[in-house]
Amino acid sequence: MQIKKLLLGLLLVSPTMLWAQGSQVNTQGQKAVGMAGAGSALFVDESSIFYSPGALVKMDHNAVSAGASAIMYRSAFREFNSNDVHHTKFKISPPFSVFATFGPQNSWWKAGLGVYTPFGGSVDWGDQWPGRYELNHLQMRAIYIQPTLSFKLTENFGIGGGFVYNVGLVDLSRSIPTASADGTPGRAELSGVGTGMGFNVGVHYNLEDDFAISLSYRSQVITKLKDGDAEFTVPPALAASFPNTTFDAELPLPSSFNIGLTFPASERVDIAADATFIGYSVYKELVFDYEDNTPALEDTRQEKKYENALSGKVGINYEACDRLDLRIGGGYVFTPVRGPYVSPETPDNSRMMGSIGFTYDINDRWDLTGAYVFQRILERTVTSANTGLTGTYKTNIHAPGISLTYKW
Amino acid sequence: MKRIFKNIALYIGLLSTLVASSCKPEIEGFQTTSGEANFSKYIAVGNSLTAGFADGGLYLEGQQVAFPNLIAEQLRQVGGGDFRSPFFSENERNGSGYLQLKDLVNGQPVMENVTDNLAYREPGKLSKHAGDMENLGVPGMRLDLSTQGWFGGLNMYFERLLPDADVSTKTYIDFATERDHTFFSFWLGNNDVLGNAMNGAVTNPDDPTTVLTETATFEYVYREFITKLTENEQKGVVATIPDVTAIPFFTTVTRAALIAAVKAESGQDIQDIYIETGPGTPRAATDNDLFVLPFASAGLLGSMSADSPYPYGLYPDNPVESQYVLDSDEVTAIQARVKAFNNVIKQVAEEKRLALADAHAYLNRVKEPGIVYNGVVINASFITGNAFSLDGVHLTPMGNAIIANLFIDAINKQYRSRIPKVDASMYRGVKFP
Repeated sequence: MQIKKLLLGLLLVSPTMLWAQGSQVNTQGQKAVGMAGAGSALFVDESSIFYSPGALVKMDHNAVSAGASAIMYRSAFREFNSNDVHHTKFKISPPFSVFATFGPQNSWWKAGLGVYTPFGGSVDWGDQWPGRYELNHLQMRAIYIQPTLSFKLTENFGIGGGFVYNVGLVDLSRSIPTASADGTPGRAELSGVGTGMGFNVGVHYNLEDDFAISLSYRSQVITKLKDGDAEFTVPPALAASFPNTTFDAELPLPSSFNIGLTFPASERVDIAADATFIGYSVYKELVFDYEDNTPALEDTRQEKKYENALSGKVGINYEACDRLDLRIGGGYVFTPVRGPYVSPETPDNSRMMGSIGFTYDINDRWDLTGAYVFQRILERTVTSANTGLTGTYKTNIHAPGISLTYKW
Repeated sequence: MKRIFKNIALYIGLLSTLVASSCKPEIEGFQTTSGEANFSKYIAVGNSLTAGFADGGLYLEGQQVAFPNLIAEQLRQVGGGDFRSPFFSENERNGSGYLQLKDLVNGQPVMENVTDNLAYREPGKLSKHAGDMENLGVPGMRLDLSTQGWFGGLNMYFERLLPDADVSTKTYIDFATERDHTFFSFWLGNNDVLGNAMNGAVTNPDDPTTVLTETATFEYVYREFITKLTENEQKGVVATIPDVTAIPFFTTVTRAALIAAVKAESGQDIQDIYIETGPGTPRAATDNDLFVLPFASAGLLGSMSADSPYPYGLYPDNPVESQYVLDSDEVTAIQARVKAFNNVIKQVAEEKRLALADAHAYLNRVKEPGIVYNGVVINASFITGNAFSLDGVHLTPMGNAIIANLFIDAINKQYRSRIPKVDASMYRGVKFP
């Protein structure tokens, strides 16, 4: 007699998939990028759709601009008690932004449309590093589409608001500890598109040309991903335990409250400072709900326990001549991620930023803006609460960007 | 104006250079040191675990990832020298032959023997290995038999390593201690209990490998062996003997699983499995009686034979034979013996100031609650636990890697060395078809 069912429930590790916020590298407006993210009160232009909807109405013209950055996110990891340093592969993730304004000149209202990518990132650790059972690669992008209206309540006081529709794209993979005949591990790949909604409101107040203040609030956007594709590459004998299926997940993108100030230091020099409070505590856990469950493939619930975070940025705008503005900026971002919840998708820690930038008026119609920001995510040694992976992460982010504006 | 624009181009150029050079973040390395130990000639003394035996056989892939080989690889960073192993040649890579998973049918493993590219020069005799070596692991080696020259004629793995003139005369102690080593690992004694336990605690008078070694013998030989290994003040690491209940060989085939299988197979509503206990009296099995792994595939339970009118194992008059089961008294006795052996090991380690890898405590932790290593769950479950190979006793490559780290931790602690750890996530568990 054969004894069957001895191994009832062949239990392998469920692929607890990760899905981070990605890295928030704000590159919506290249003028602000040149000042490390400061300038919401200073720059009154089409990018105010994102930075300060209340300032939009103060534009004395209409404009359309398109810009893109090349974010180079370079992370390194050294496992505790090991000498091997693993680097992410060189990847450029290209966040873009398009802003357009509409409406009569010098009127009490102005409309605008912004399409931009406030969250996103691309990391690829490959499948030969100690955290391969946690993550091979992650590509993520949230695209916000934001129609906006802005009104003047008084000559100096503008108010504005927009509706945000988010399309989130995610694509990630990790190794599964199921050795095939040649000893190589299995692989899980998840990809999908989610959508969510939110809003963006703000006020902008200025004292003639002296001093200006901007307050804005961007709501959280709960991005719901339905029927994403989950594909598993496992040895044939385990195929039934890892059926190719679909999954649902939910990713809350945090709200943020921003206060910006600006004042002139001399005739040609403006100073701007911004502080942003980011409501990351909304990201408590990440749940993956698979359509088909097996003993080996169960729904997963992973704790994230993010905390609210704060960032501060300061920048200087120098009008070098009529047609050229030069900028420099610096900032500091406190991390929302607690040590045990740091993961390879965004090996986060508090970060320092430094930036430079320029705007060149080619003629009355065309502006060219360029910026470069460098961010150093400070070295951090952590033990993951989810996987036990222990080691030191360090990350440099380089983001050169350029945008072109047409005014009329 | 144009000038400024030109300058900007220059600045961007300069900046790009800066970007290219600072793109990759660097993390300061881990400072390795050999501490108080000298790793220039490391030898590994032990049994099948040291040799890299896995899946019921000794074969090249297992030899290459034997835990001492993984340790030696790490020792290279702290002054370790060559570490040679008696590897089978590529043509004879499947060595003694071994088990592999052929299929999973309803979650039940179907295994087959690998029978090609074996290394037998004649039946029961493996191809000789010529030349010196540092991995001295001999599958089946026991502490009590390490003093017996004739064992080299009986054990084909030992015979393979000996020059013809030394077969049946050279003892394992002499074989292991004449190599001018500067450092050693010593993990011997497992078979002094396992040989007996795996046979259901039945001692076969014709087979010296089924004897349960007396504690006094164990202590005497252990001290003698360690004394010889430390004759020139060499440093080393020794390891304790794991609990028999920590390995899937004894924990996979449970009473409940057997009863469920009989019910599913025959539709009979049976309540009990009957076993022959050590003293010979049959009784109903309890959950504290451990059936050996091969009993699952032996196909005996419920079978009829000419010897008895009753189906096998289901009636007191035809109980499961003692060799297939470690009854609860035998488990207790064997655990007590393991504890006595481990006390000897710990005491000798302390006296000789040797590093101690407590495999007993560690493997109990792997069994319960299990460990999560870089996102991989490692426990003592058969096949799916990632630590134990298909024989339920020996380690998978990943199991070898975590044991290597256990030894490295012990060495680092004792000798203030800083040997980098093995990345165990790079090694596999059981292979699936």
